[in-house]
Amino acid sequence: MTDHRDPAVRAEGLVKHFDGGEETVEAVRGVDLEIQPGEVFGFLGPNGAGKSTTVRMLTTLLSITGGRAEVAGIDVSGDPDAVRHRIGVALQEAGLDPRQTGRELLTLHGRLFGLDQDKAAARAQELLELVELEGAADRVTKSYSGGMQRRLDLAAALVHEPEVLFLDEPTTGLDPASRLTVWEEVRRINAHGTTVFLTTQYLEEADQLCDRLAIIDDGVIVREGTPADLKAELSERRDGAEITLDDVFLDATGRSRDRAAGEVQEVGA
Amino acid sequence: MSSTIALGMRSLREMVRQPDALLMTMFIPIFFLVVNTGQAAEIFPSDSTEFLQGQGYGAFQLPITLLLAASFGMAALFLVEEIEGGYFDKLRAMPIPRSSMVLGRLVAEAAKGTVLSSVIVLIALPFGITIASGVPGFFLIVALSALWGVVYAGFMQLIALKTRSAAATNSGGLIFFPLLFLTPNFVPREMLTKPMEIAATLNPVTYLMEALRSLILTDLDWGAILPGFAVVAGLGVVMLLLNIRMIQTYD
Repeated sequence: MTDHRDPAVRAEGLVKHFDGGEETVEAVRGVDLEIQPGEVFGFLGPNGAGKSTTVRMLTTLLSITGGRAEVAGIDVSGDPDAVRHRIGVALQEAGLDPRQTGRELLTLHGRLFGLDQDKAAARAQELLELVELEGAADRVTKSYSGGMQRRLDLAAALVHEPEVLFLDEPTTGLDPASRLTVWEEVRRINAHGTTVFLTTQYLEEADQLCDRLAIIDDGVIVREGTPADLKAELSERRDGAEITLDDVFLDATGRSRDRAAGEVQEVGA
Repeated sequence: MSSTIALGMRSLREMVRQPDALLMTMFIPIFFLVVNTGQAAEIFPSDSTEFLQGQGYGAFQLPITLLLAASFGMAALFLVEEIEGGYFDKLRAMPIPRSSMVLGRLVAEAAKGTVLSSVIVLIALPFGITIASGVPGFFLIVALSALWGVVYAGFMQLIALKTRSAAATNSGGLIFFPLLFLTPNFVPREMLTKPMEIAATLNPVTYLMEALRSLILTDLDWGAILPGFAVVAGLGVVMLLLNIRMIQTYD
């Protein structure tokens, strides 16, 4: 049974190595995290920094090379099935079955989480209304736009009302209007008490949505705190200069603006 | 079990919604049946060719048609598409037995094989091909063909899980293809050249073909039928164990 005082996510010395033939690739090199229930936690970093690898370990999709992780108070390596009961996952690519309709896909997910057919169908309808896809519910998902696919993917991750929701770059590639819709969904989900672990390349997104964030670079966490604290800390070091999250990111990763272009984007919705 | 059935039903819907793939699965084997029969029927007239048991050469060719139709491995092609598209990971993050993700597709493959082989046999009947072993023989033909389809798709799924690439899975399927032809597909085994006879004897598909052929040309001959089912059972157990092992260690 989960102790409600447990952090929603806890990682201690999390390590992931990939066998890259002649040399081992150290994708994650000792990540420590503690996320409290109800938080929206942002995980930022340049491409290849280890964001998705960390998420994949926490969501039981990748084995852990070293260290340990708990999600909803459960050891990820020790009882992955129990962790899967408590998490919702929307990965970087909106992975949907292209030949199922939105309704079929959500109903199937309900069935796989143990609901009977009637309850699964009712839950599917509820979620379709939540993400405003009732009108497209009976179309196959390959006919959906990118934004619709993202919203359905989000709905699929919510079928079983998870305690912790992992969103891996949920707005990458979306137009500003679709991005705003996803932000609203994230806020609404979080308002119901769900902890949200969000990776993003968009600094404004992190600033808008996250209670706290961590910046990972080259497999290690280089900065962690609330957006306001991180900005204040850098402002103090720079004699009270006006600081954006961009500046914090560049300072933390040691990148120049030129080099950061295309890695992490400051895009307004 | 319920997740295997739910995923199996989904896979069936998937197949039905890709009718062009199903049509090709029917068309190519029937094309070979027509061409092979057209080319060799004059060489092997039914009234003077003992191994035809009084039937036309089409009856002798029907087993290769059934085995070809069962050897397209649609389940594996859909699986690798799902791996590449990301939905496979979505399923892996759910609290379902990992084995159900591969078994569900094989259940659907069994259902597809049952329908497909029934249709092929029913198409063959008006063209003078009879099932000498009668109605029980018909069901055994359909069962053996469908089970072979499951075994073949299962081995292709292993390639899909190992390579995670549609191109590699497609190419990998071709490795199995020669097995269908290193068989007594044009004449009985004893009439093959010695090297071909040895190859055919070592090839497990030969025993499937001989079992199917026996059901079409003669009454129930368990001496020919049982080796076919034994091959499917043996390869099926190996295939299932490898599939379950691979999905459980998939990282």
